[in-house]
Amino acid sequence: MSPFHDWAYMAFATVGLTVVTFATRGSFFMLPPSVQLPKSWERALKYAPVCALTAIVAPAVFTKQHEPYISWSNHQMWALLAAGLVFAKFRNMTAMICVGMAVFTALRLWT
Amino acid sequence: MKALRARFFAPCPHDSYREGVRSMMPLALAISVWGLVTGVAMVNGGMTVPGALIVTFFVFAGSAQLATLPLLAVGAPLPVVWVTALLVNLRFVIFAAASRRYFVKLPWQQRLLAGYLNGDLGFALFSRRFGDATELGTPEQFGFFYGGATVNWVAWQLSSYVGIIIGGLFPTEWGFELAAALALVAVLIPMANKFPAAVGILVTGVLAVYTASMPMRLGLVVSVLIGGSVAVAADVWRSRSEVQPEPEPSAA
Repeated sequence: MSPFHDWAYMAFATVGLTVVTFATRGSFFMLPPSVQLPKSWERALKYAPVCALTAIVAPAVFTKQHEPYISWSNHQMWALLAAGLVFAKFRNMTAMICVGMAVFTALRLWT
Repeated sequence: MKALRARFFAPCPHDSYREGVRSMMPLALAISVWGLVTGVAMVNGGMTVPGALIVTFFVFAGSAQLATLPLLAVGAPLPVVWVTALLVNLRFVIFAAASRRYFVKLPWQQRLLAGYLNGDLGFALFSRRFGDATELGTPEQFGFFYGGATVNWVAWQLSSYVGIIIGGLFPTEWGFELAAALALVAVLIPMANKFPAAVGILVTGVLAVYTASMPMRLGLVVSVLIGGSVAVAADVWRSRSEVQPEPEPSAA
């Protein structure tokens, strides 16, 4: 059975994820004003999301069946490169996703 | 209904609410594209339509939803799922610390809702508009905040629902997981403009690719711990090696 059809798994996952949303966004809104964010924590809090997003994106693009897939024939790699260049130049997420998917689709159909 | 509204929303004037709506409106398209991609990716990745609707309604955090999707798809242990969402969402702790001073006098129900609504775009707009305000926690500020948050919430929810409903129409070989990954890159790039972040991305990325075969997706947690530590170390090292500013000469 797909984990998505396991209702107990999905229910617990969703409850936990909702708690995470409230706990992070609401964190300092709910804590007493005397509790301040320690300076030394700021660094860790700043870099954790950057690294966590990377840890999701990198395997999605550079692996195939959980094994490294770094090759000229990796279409997703070229799509990511094109999308990254578009975003760096225009700062436009919509254009970036469209160009990335166009490159991926073109390579998928014609190579 | 009125009593419920009064409990969860701070009172605010109409025109400042409308100002908030107007300033978020230009971003509604980008929010909708992102919501649409997330909705399609969830259903395309195998989530049931009711499941995806419930997740969207309650979790209301696009990057965390997309980040945990591949983990849920393989039935990763729930602590790994939750920790991943927590790591991705830690940026909101900084937002909360930075904007608390505006909301600190409100009753807890109103603070809880304001915190829940304080996402990336709302925080950016609010900081730009009221970053140097001398009076904190005025009704005008709440109105502006709620106006922007309303546009953000409605655009996000509606576009996600559309994506969830049409998501089943797209064959999986069209590669919507890639669109989801690209949407995450759009969050990632603006945060990656400094040397320590770039080092952290490089180290985490390489480790994440080469630990992808680890059981229970533990490679993810390992790479973030190591990559994040390297980024913090790079930041500490850089701030130490920077030249200390000359002390101000005291006025005679």
